[in-house]
Amino acid sequence: MNSLWQFKIRHVFSLTIICLSFVIVGVFLSMSNNLRFRARELSKNLRVVFYLHKDLTASERGLIDDEIRHSPLVDSVRAVGPEEASEKFIEDFPELKDILLNLNINPFPPSIEASLKDPGLPTEKIIQFIAEVKKNSGVEDVQFNREWAEKIRSLGRLTEAIGFFLGGILVLASFFIVSNVIKLNVLARKSEIEILRLVGATNTFIRIPFLLEGVILGVAGSCLSLFVVFFLIKLFPLYLGSSLGALQEIVGFRYLTQTQVLALIFGGGCVGFLGSLSSLARFLRM
Amino acid sequence: MIELYHVWKQYQKPLWALSDVNLSVTRGEFCFITGPSGSGKSTLLKAIYREVIPTEGQIIISGINIQRIPDHKICAIRRQMGIVFQDFRLLFHKRVFDNVSIALRVLGAPPRDMKRKTFIALRMVNLQQRLWDYPSQLSYGEQQRVAIARAIVNNPRILLADEPTGNLDPDLAHEIFGLFRVINKQGTTVIICTHDKELIRRFGGRVLYLHEGKLHEKDVG
Repeated sequence: MNSLWQFKIRHVFSLTIICLSFVIVGVFLSMSNNLRFRARELSKNLRVVFYLHKDLTASERGLIDDEIRHSPLVDSVRAVGPEEASEKFIEDFPELKDILLNLNINPFPPSIEASLKDPGLPTEKIIQFIAEVKKNSGVEDVQFNREWAEKIRSLGRLTEAIGFFLGGILVLASFFIVSNVIKLNVLARKSEIEILRLVGATNTFIRIPFLLEGVILGVAGSCLSLFVVFFLIKLFPLYLGSSLGALQEIVGFRYLTQTQVLALIFGGGCVGFLGSLSSLARFLRM
Repeated sequence: MIELYHVWKQYQKPLWALSDVNLSVTRGEFCFITGPSGSGKSTLLKAIYREVIPTEGQIIISGINIQRIPDHKICAIRRQMGIVFQDFRLLFHKRVFDNVSIALRVLGAPPRDMKRKTFIALRMVNLQQRLWDYPSQLSYGEQQRVAIARAIVNNPRILLADEPTGNLDPDLAHEIFGLFRVINKQGTTVIICTHDKELIRRFGGRVLYLHEGKLHEKDVG
């Protein structure tokens, strides 16, 4: 353990690289967590919005309303007029209020929001129901939030994949850095190793301190990265302010789960251990 | 104890560092290997502690053919040996105690046992007062005595010394050889490589002469 202090500059360097690599993985994981959370929230409140033609008469609207209401899949139905839709939009996106007011017309069509009974309903069944309703010429468009949930979920998966790809490259780089740092340590302690071999030390006895050094570097680097990710999650919303409005819900961070934290620490340990092991295998042949 | 049968060693063609060396050293023997520089003395010692592997021939240590045992079992053979070098090979960033106890540390000796045995070894070489000094604070003679203490701390059956007095003045060399004699009297087989004929004459014992890789028994009288 003395060597960790003895060669502190090179160890600080490798610690920084390991930390940065895991920060990248951690940041993307936390973004992906947020997207998955949003998708889950969206899925919980399962509803279909049917947008109607503006020029429909009240009786035509009533017919569509009845058709939707009597479907066995539907729990409740709520009719939303253009004015209510406009007010809701201004409430959700206050920064876009001026654009809407400058239009001088209300672009929102009347709509019927149907809340579905069972959130676990298969998507195919719902799509079949939507298609039935859509046959009605008064229905202009349909918005089904599960599709959005799926899209957000896919975005979450994509974010995670980008994180693992970028992080993976950096983790690989840290693997080589740990490997080289340990190689330098082996070189620096060449005479000690030689004496140990001559007095009958086993290979394991000689290798264990180097492997421990690698593991300590890896675990310390990944732990440090968790602190950095924690502070990023804390500080990022402060930095952004409310400039992104509702979009901020999507472009946000969520704390890593316990499993993810443990996986990152374990990953750090593995990077250190394997980096060290590869160096010893190549450089400390007995 | 140590048997060599038709041992040949070639580092590069056409020169042979060892040429058909046959040797048998019995338990408790005190033995010198002498010869001019480059005659193969160090190679012979290295072959005995398997730092080099002979090109041909067999080396038997305590009944074990060390050519045939796998690399990872060499440590068991080396634990029976103590090795002393001309350049001492001490760890200058470690204290005398750590330098000596390293041989016990690899055996996994308990700390108490380690302290006791290290102290006994250092007392034997008369350095018990310098336990916590660094090697750089010691004279050459004292440094070599630390190296000897390290070699004997785990009571080895065999002590190998490669030009142990090469860097020391005659008085110190005499003192060091005296130590080897004491260690030998306790039952340890001692093999010393040296070209110091005067010391060989003074201390006596079996003398083997190496010349161009060939070993001859020699009568030094």
